[in-house]
Amino acid sequence: MAMFDGMNATASALTAQRLRMDTASGNMANASATRGQMVDGEWEPYRRKMVTMGSEENRPSFASQLQNAEREQTSGVQVTGIVEDQTPFQTMHQPGHPDADEDGNVQLPNVDPLKEMVDVMGATRSYEANVTVFDAHKAMKMNAMEIGRS
Amino acid sequence: MTLFSSTIDQLHNGLDGAELRQNTIANNIANADTPNYKARQANFEHTLDDAKRQFDSQKTDGRHVNFGSGHREAYTSVDRSRSYNHNGNSVDMDKEMAAMANNQIYQSALIDRMDGQFGSLKTALGGQ
Repeated sequence: MAMFDGMNATASALTAQRLRMDTASGNMANASATRGQMVDGEWEPYRRKMVTMGSEENRPSFASQLQNAEREQTSGVQVTGIVEDQTPFQTMHQPGHPDADEDGNVQLPNVDPLKEMVDVMGATRSYEANVTVFDAHKAMKMNAMEIGRS
Repeated sequence: MTLFSSTIDQLHNGLDGAELRQNTIANNIANADTPNYKARQANFEHTLDDAKRQFDSQKTDGRHVNFGSGHREAYTSVDRSRSYNHNGNSVDMDKEMAAMANNQIYQSALIDRMDGQFGSLKTALGGQ
């Protein structure tokens, strides 16, 4: 058992939660970006992005399962990717808009500020919890250093 | 006569267990948002039970397997039957936090006793 295993696990979680927060911020910032990316010469609105997470333990391969069985795993959390939300875009009737189609409808990003706020709250809470764990871990290690000091 | 009493060994085992538990809790909390993650549990307070369960067995052949288990190291286990979350995650944050607070107090008590042991040893060596 390595000395800093637990701390590394916590650190990975802090990184992951921060990325979640950044992604939510990006979504909020682009909540009305009608020109997210160019697809076939046409502007498409911004698509909401989501962070997906996985733990080393859930990998289905035999090798990783065996590895987990062999050692007491404290591998932390892994960001497995950032995926785009495929739900349909919102449409709004706004004939004067430069990106409106011939009927006067504009496609807007599929970002729901409420969802993003919930995500931000979740990320904040998880981050806080992990900071608490880190503090506890540090205190315990410092305590152990004091053995035989007096 | 041994210089270090078995108490120090036992305290050492306890500290190892506390460390494993802390790491396990850290890992659980780190994975609180991971879909399909199942919370792990550190077990190390089983030594007393194990000792009680041990009994002598009659062996008529050297190749026979012992009844009862020998000393078992601290280990982690996982319960896959529970979910607290719609995404299959089974980390109960309150439980983990409470377990961590417990573990901290437990570890600091062990360290206090360890210090006490060394203190006694020092006194004895000083001849006072």
